[in-house]
Amino acid sequence: MKARRLPLFFPTASFAGLLFVLGAMWYAASSQNSPAVYLLLFALTAVFLVSIPHTVINLAGVRVALESAQPAFAGQEVSLPVEISNSSRAARHGIELALSGSSRDRERIDYIPADKAARMTLRFPARQRGEHEIGALRLTSVYPLGFIRVSKKFASAQTYTVYPKPEGDPQLPLNGTSIPRSRLETEIGEGDDFAGVRAYVPGESQRHIDWKAVARGQALMIKQFAAETEGVVHLDFSALRFANVEERLSQLALWVIEAERDRRPYGLRLPGTEIPPAVGQVHFHQCLRALSLFQVGMPGSA
Amino acid sequence: MSMSRSKRDRSIPRRPLLWLAAALLFTLPPMFRSLATWVPCLFLLALAMKFWMEPRGYRLRFAIFKLMLAAVAVLIIFASYNSLKGIEPAVSLLVVLISLKVLEAHTAREFQVMVLMGWVLCLCGFFLSQDFAAALCLLTAFALLLVALIQFHRAASPGAFWPPLRTACKLLAQAAPLIVLLFVLFPRIGSGFRFEFRDLRAAGTGFSDRLSPGSIALLANSSGIAFRAEFPGSNTRPTGPMYWRGAVMWHCDGMEWRAPYAPASISRAPNQSPSGNTIRQRITLAPHGARWMFALDRPFEIPRSAMLVRGDYIRSVQPIRKTRRYEVVSSPEVTRNDLTPYERKEALELPASISPAVRELAQSWVAQNSNSRAIISSALQFFRTQGFRYSLSPGEYKKNDLEQFLFHRRVGFCEHYAASFATLMRLAGIPARVVVGYLGGEYNDLGDFFLVRQADTHAWCEVWLPESGWMRLDPTNVVAPGRASLDLNSFLDGRIASGQMESRRSAFLARLARSAIFTNIRLAWETLNYQWDTRLLGFDADVQDVLLSSIGIAKHGPYFLIVEVLAIAVVMLVIYFGWMQLRTRSRVNPVKMLYERFCRKIASLGAQRHPWEGPSDFSMRAAQLLPHESERIRQISNTYISLRYAPEPDAIMLDRFAKEVSAFGR
Repeated sequence: MKARRLPLFFPTASFAGLLFVLGAMWYAASSQNSPAVYLLLFALTAVFLVSIPHTVINLAGVRVALESAQPAFAGQEVSLPVEISNSSRAARHGIELALSGSSRDRERIDYIPADKAARMTLRFPARQRGEHEIGALRLTSVYPLGFIRVSKKFASAQTYTVYPKPEGDPQLPLNGTSIPRSRLETEIGEGDDFAGVRAYVPGESQRHIDWKAVARGQALMIKQFAAETEGVVHLDFSALRFANVEERLSQLALWVIEAERDRRPYGLRLPGTEIPPAVGQVHFHQCLRALSLFQVGMPGSA
Repeated sequence: MSMSRSKRDRSIPRRPLLWLAAALLFTLPPMFRSLATWVPCLFLLALAMKFWMEPRGYRLRFAIFKLMLAAVAVLIIFASYNSLKGIEPAVSLLVVLISLKVLEAHTAREFQVMVLMGWVLCLCGFFLSQDFAAALCLLTAFALLLVALIQFHRAASPGAFWPPLRTACKLLAQAAPLIVLLFVLFPRIGSGFRFEFRDLRAAGTGFSDRLSPGSIALLANSSGIAFRAEFPGSNTRPTGPMYWRGAVMWHCDGMEWRAPYAPASISRAPNQSPSGNTIRQRITLAPHGARWMFALDRPFEIPRSAMLVRGDYIRSVQPIRKTRRYEVVSSPEVTRNDLTPYERKEALELPASISPAVRELAQSWVAQNSNSRAIISSALQFFRTQGFRYSLSPGEYKKNDLEQFLFHRRVGFCEHYAASFATLMRLAGIPARVVVGYLGGEYNDLGDFFLVRQADTHAWCEVWLPESGWMRLDPTNVVAPGRASLDLNSFLDGRIASGQMESRRSAFLARLARSAIFTNIRLAWETLNYQWDTRLLGFDADVQDVLLSSIGIAKHGPYFLIVEVLAIAVVMLVIYFGWMQLRTRSRVNPVKMLYERFCRKIASLGAQRHPWEGPSDFSMRAAQLLPHESERIRQISNTYISLRYAPEPDAIMLDRFAKEVSAFGR
């Protein structure tokens, strides 16, 4: 990513404190005509002035490279993996990374050696479904003294997707070819019907995670039950009784997750879009993406 | 490597806190010297408490509790100084408030505030003391605060000792030319408001307008510095003993003498200027809060803002509250001047309380001798032959104990001899007065100056003879021959070495103090002190004015000068920036270049890397796209990741990486 502008620097809040101390020293020195106090005053002033180029140089040769952000559900956090590389011949210290315009969600990296890179994950809340631009990232640093903040902006055209927030009734609609057993029965009959494990799908309930496997250092796996893998579910936008579009999308997102978790083939029907029944990761993300982009940017949508 | 914000803001990391504590400890010595002892002790306690509290997450939480503590502190300060005005109570209050802040602080922002407070403490330290030792402590504290701040911002970067220290040294080294520039050229504009320090040192000096028995002997152990003297033009150094004239006492009260509170100023007529050789002295006087100024016997060309007063000594117009440097010219030759009838009366005045035995003694000399000179030699003979002893601890005398001293105990220090001799002279009808000042001084050949200590305080007599005017007579010299040509410490050391006197210190310490190394260290230290006092503390607004007008840049006024200084500073900063940029500019990174070569190769095979794709993501995707190359792709990506993100470069690994990349695709 290219830096959009030259690094800018501006005083931090503690600069006000420094000015106050310098003012006090100046007052004492001039009213006493005391060379010793003048020495202290000028030493502090000079050290502060010399620290400005040190602060500005601390971002020289530092670049940001974004990797693709995993889709997230609204209300959760977006994790954006970022590589900050230092192509200069000096180590860089105390660099903070934030989305431009939001100073709350920032990540700090203490140290990048010369000619090395460091990776971090920038996390920020996913507020609204849809596809969003990351916009610009801002690198800032106050090293070494903290009285001056240097800031460098990096533009990015990259986007991230936020799926609708899964909400509503977890019970899948009863339009399949066979009637599934109720949840209660599946849980009671766990010992008999256990059919193996599969990978965890982000966003779904953590109730069936195989925690013993996690403790052994394996990836997040979901325990599957034999009874859950039956029937085809048709998820139809227009068949839902909610008036609100967002509520309908949330319900559909929850069902997509539940159906994928149950390994039941599911199809999605939205006005203007139809995804035939299937199961699997690619299908799962295709459905959620369709839900997240549904009527985005249209007048009247949220 | 990264920390979450909330976690970082809830406690102060330990390493910067250690540096901060080290810095704050260096601000303590000047406090211990001048403040009530409990104040720095409280501060130390607060620092120690902080280290106990911080890992446990304790801190002062409740505002009411904090306010109460502050109020109690104000009360105790009031109780220990009886006032809240003046510099010590103000500094004490600040120290106490900073102690509370140290106990309370717990976030990152407050660390910055604590460092700023440390710099305020350095400022307070300079209020309390400006001598070289204090300045050394305070400037060390200043630098350590800088290290603490740097370490704080480095956070978890590797290295807790040398790296922040090195960065601080680099900053200071780069700041040094700027400091010199600002110090020399930045105009010292007065702020208009002035506050006066209270007389801090007046109590420490040996000088007062009253000479009473024991007042000088008390100072014999003082190592305090009175002043330092240089003789510009080396051929004019005095050849005889150096009597530094400080004040003349006219009022006799037996063993006690007093100088006039406000002596009348005199102007020396031009025809009375001395004919013989003159001695120019440059004197750096330590502040004492009074108006005493010193010059070799007898000054005739006096410095600015000082006056020559009756008795031929100089006094400052203003009390001397900070180090003062002045030049004065003296003439060792005595000029004859007349004694007015009023002065004669004053120089013969005696208290009524003098005992008949003492009067009888003086009368016996008058009866035996025909002229004044003979009377004087009889008196000196009396002191020489009647078993008088010179001692630092002569015991207590009252002001009427002249008889006790002259006939019974016969043990005294210079003030006893000067006072009694002058009184006896007056009894014998010879106008006499007591002069107080300093005698001798230790020569420092490293810095080519004489150091005169409070211990060298001395009192002698002057008698008026019609043919030669006021003549110096030092009765101490009769009792303790040799004292006049040495400073007191050397004289005492000599006496101790020859067994004439019992040692004041243990034999080991005395031997150590006389050893060559120790002497050299002491002389070097005193030279540094002198340089600090003259070069740095002497460079005040007046000296700067003189310097600026002598190089011809004062005529444009202070604001022009400020702009000029700032312009130079900006140019300097730009040069620093350019230099650092040049030194750290990126060069070709072999690892990255090899990886880009690998990406080009793999793109030609059909797997294009997206710009946002991290190496591990890309390797997984590429391995899926090119299943037959998947093993090598994974291998190369892993090597790349470990080379790029590992803190230390590894030549063997880089070599392997280069081989793998060049072998790929063949």
